[in-house]
Amino acid sequence: MSVPALRIDNLVKCYGDFAAVDGVSLAVEEGEFFGLLGRNGAGKTTTINAIVGLARITRGTIALFGHDVERDWRLARGTVGLAPQEYNFDRYLNIRDVLIYQAGYYGLRGAAVARRADLLLERFDLTSKAKQVYTRLSGGMKRRLSLARALIHEPRLLILDEPTAGVDVELRLELWSLLRELNGRGSTIILTTHYLEEAEELCDRIAIIQSGKLVALDSTRHLVGAGNLQDVFLELTRR
Amino acid sequence: MNVNAVGFGTLVKREMVRTFSIINQVIWPPVIQTLLYVFVFGLALGSRIKDVQGVSYAQFLIPGLIMLQVIDQTYSEGSSSVFQGRFMNSIQELLIAPMSAAEIVLGYVVAGVVRAVFIALLITLLGVVFVHTAPTNWALYLGTIVLVAILFSSLGIVFGLLAEKFDHIAVLTTFFITPLVFVGGVFTSIKFLPPAVQRISLVNPMFHMIDAFRYSYTPTGDEPLGVALSVVVVLAALALGTALLMTARGVKLRT
Repeated sequence: MSVPALRIDNLVKCYGDFAAVDGVSLAVEEGEFFGLLGRNGAGKTTTINAIVGLARITRGTIALFGHDVERDWRLARGTVGLAPQEYNFDRYLNIRDVLIYQAGYYGLRGAAVARRADLLLERFDLTSKAKQVYTRLSGGMKRRLSLARALIHEPRLLILDEPTAGVDVELRLELWSLLRELNGRGSTIILTTHYLEEAEELCDRIAIIQSGKLVALDSTRHLVGAGNLQDVFLELTRR
Repeated sequence: MNVNAVGFGTLVKREMVRTFSIINQVIWPPVIQTLLYVFVFGLALGSRIKDVQGVSYAQFLIPGLIMLQVIDQTYSEGSSSVFQGRFMNSIQELLIAPMSAAEIVLGYVVAGVVRAVFIALLITLLGVVFVHTAPTNWALYLGTIVLVAILFSSLGIVFGLLAEKFDHIAVLTTFFITPLVFVGGVFTSIKFLPPAVQRISLVNPMFHMIDAFRYSYTPTGDEPLGVALSVVVVLAALALGTALLMTARGVKLRT
């Protein structure tokens, strides 16, 4: 049996007495398109932060492709690319350099990186803005840049924290198409979103978190059943 | 990959890009300020002061002014870069990458050292042109700048991590660095001070830095060179260690 792309065992993350994540266990197989859903403050972003090293784990373990994120952090971090919820680009670099410097932080440099940056800019329709800083970009362009940056080091796992928040319908459909294409090429994708139809449309399996606890984990088809994801979600996350 | 040398080099390069994109805040102010100090204090008022440590007052002033700017700029740039990274969340680019705390801290510190040497060389050039003075011991000149830049870049990281707003960063500059530098021998030898004040000056860390650096210009100082350098080495090691420890623990970086 292959090593899962992500394995979380009994993850607990506390802030003082408050457990933001409380005993979550799940595994994401390589090549899966996985949805992580929950209301605001349910613990989705905290879980993601624990996976990528932005939050310290209180208890439990997380492994990426078999590498423990705390013990083998260097190997683990090299496997994952994150497109965060908030834009956090370097304001002193033009957007081509944002990609090239990000690759540098992952230990990559040279002509191959520059070529990949140019390809990503082209793929995400940002070539004409290559020499501009990110503050000059529209909201949709920033979203695409975030995705391009997450992909610059060719991660095996892509984590997208609300990638379509605040974008118009046309761009959302375009991003869906991009994500499907990436997943089709073998990338494992974990997606958090508040657009339930997005999760229903894209994800193979879905986990729902409520108050830091995992309340559902199933294939999208089984979870939705004869109804729709919205009804299931509201039922499971009723306060 | 036991050491991410490319990541470290990328961070140094990124800090240099930042420095030169805000050149009017980082590079020119220390140069212009020094020019003003040299003209007003060194050449105008200084002509009425007899020699200090065997050189003219303006020549005595130059090494102190270099240290003043090295200290000020390495601290303010180190702290503002880290704080801004936290404030804008752009530091997360480093935190999620396979970079160790040491690689991140050393990236910021080495960039601070490069910036300090660059600023020092510009001011040294002013000294050569306007005051006709130059270092006689280049190894000591560079060594002291590197040590002081390590110390204040590290302090910059520490305060950049602790600060909750830009105003907090200014606390160290306003209430400690600037007053201690000014009374630490930039403008006068402590031998000109009353004996009781001379003894107090010995606990001022800036005095040791300025005195050690002044040895690279003049063969005499206010205290033995070994003592002055030892103080700087110990302080630099302490500050660097603190910055490394705080970054490794993720203080204000990882929740």
